[in-house]
Amino acid sequence: MASAFTVLRRLYLSVYNWIVFIGWFQVLFLALKTLKESGHEHLYNAVEKPLLLAQSAAVLEILHGLIGLVRSPVSSTLPQIGSRLYLTWGILWSFPEIRTHVLVTSLVISWAITEIIRYSFFGMKEAFGFAPSWHLWLRYSTFLVLYPTGISSEVGLIYFTLPYIKASEKYCIRMPNKWNFSFDYLYAAILALGIYVPGSPHMYRYMLGQRKRALFKSKKE
Amino acid sequence: MKVSLVSRSGREFIKGGLELNDSATVADLQEAIHKRTKKFYPSRQRLTLPVPSGSRERPVVLNYKKSLKDYCDGNENSLTVVFKDLGPQVSYRTLFFFEYLGPLILYPVFYYFPVYKFFGYKGDVLPVHPVQTYALYYWCFHYFKRIMETFFVHRFSHATSPLSNVFRNCAYYWTFGAYIAYYVNHPLYTPVGDLQMKIGFGFGLVCQLANFYCHIILKNLRGPDGSGGYQIPRGFLFNIVTCANYTTEIYQWLGFNIATQTFAGYVFLVVAASIMTNWALAKHRRLKKLFDGKDGRPKYPRRWIILPPFL
Repeated sequence: MASAFTVLRRLYLSVYNWIVFIGWFQVLFLALKTLKESGHEHLYNAVEKPLLLAQSAAVLEILHGLIGLVRSPVSSTLPQIGSRLYLTWGILWSFPEIRTHVLVTSLVISWAITEIIRYSFFGMKEAFGFAPSWHLWLRYSTFLVLYPTGISSEVGLIYFTLPYIKASEKYCIRMPNKWNFSFDYLYAAILALGIYVPGSPHMYRYMLGQRKRALFKSKKE
Repeated sequence: MKVSLVSRSGREFIKGGLELNDSATVADLQEAIHKRTKKFYPSRQRLTLPVPSGSRERPVVLNYKKSLKDYCDGNENSLTVVFKDLGPQVSYRTLFFFEYLGPLILYPVFYYFPVYKFFGYKGDVLPVHPVQTYALYYWCFHYFKRIMETFFVHRFSHATSPLSNVFRNCAYYWTFGAYIAYYVNHPLYTPVGDLQMKIGFGFGLVCQLANFYCHIILKNLRGPDGSGGYQIPRGFLFNIVTCANYTTEIYQWLGFNIATQTFAGYVFLVVAASIMTNWALAKHRRLKKLFDGKDGRPKYPRRWIILPPFL
């Protein structure tokens, strides 16, 4: 029985997913266009606006999980979105020196393909109630390649940005101060790199589990 | 009587079951299981009565002191018991000792040794402010007190804790210990005014003494035989708050932070307070459920849970 609340929820989620899908589609389109016309050094500048918008919109997904609008546990959406926002704002936007690095290309393309499949998949399910089996397959299989390429790009970019972080003193709070507080963005970046060590296998394993459930269960039906 | 032992999936855990005296206790059963399996010493065994499938009730855990007969409802000659392996166990005393040892040893390292040279600071790096010395004494006294209470005061509800908790708890205490010690003993540390320092440490010490007295009261609620069990705590602050021991512990850390004023110290205070609040909610709930006023049991009085006037 579709209550008003259910209808509203589906409407909202459909709109959300399709809008963000368009954002990522723009990212991929502009990325490939720039690669063909100019070269990887110019890729970031071409995709910056839609990338910042589409990636930041993902913050809403944490909210969706918290208020129970979607089933995804916050424990898996938080690290995923956390790392995305960190790379987008904390590395690429904050340190222009790294924007011409070739890993930006692999990063953006990995992210864009993954998100285009993901958002259109959820957009289909919320709007039309189903998604074709090839779509389901893509959603739960492309990560097998795109997670390693994406994660390697993330780790690589953080690593190559470290010298710029150290030199710039950006986001650092130094002592002395009356709250005896300090924050060193360089150490935080190194800590972030450290988190990838247990974090990546955890996320990969989680997706493998999701894949098994999604593809195995649909076969049974 | 014959005891059939099954795993939670229903599979027979010990082929053929175990044969025990009709007057045997649960402890005897545990011994028998240990004899047959060698790997599963008693503190690793969790024995429960089977719960009908689909039922959402919590299973009845077998108490080691009771006789098996008490759990046979009807059929005196056989009993089915569900076995769960709790994993390798360590005694609570061992766990507490190691988790408290870290802060006790790590903090003085930041005070006495010029570790800040490794962080790039040159010249004179050792602490110079009196508050830093008092903080060292206060901190070390606190963890020394905790270790002493572990061995001479506390009576635990369970004898053991899973081994994995050693790593988890030590990571928590040792990391926070180093994190706070780093800032309080830092060459660029900024002390608060003298009066604030005295108020902080004074208040903290009073709370530590109160906390010790709370522990003594809790100890006297249980017999020395390690049988655990729960009673309604009474006297002193327990008359108004269920977990007065946690309350005094939280306020004691507040005193330390008022005196030393570091962001790191306050983060620790917030985290520790939330952990203790979780425990307090569970304990309060358990006591209210146990002491419901029925069947001659006393009714648990109306009290604050942990932090009046909020909770």
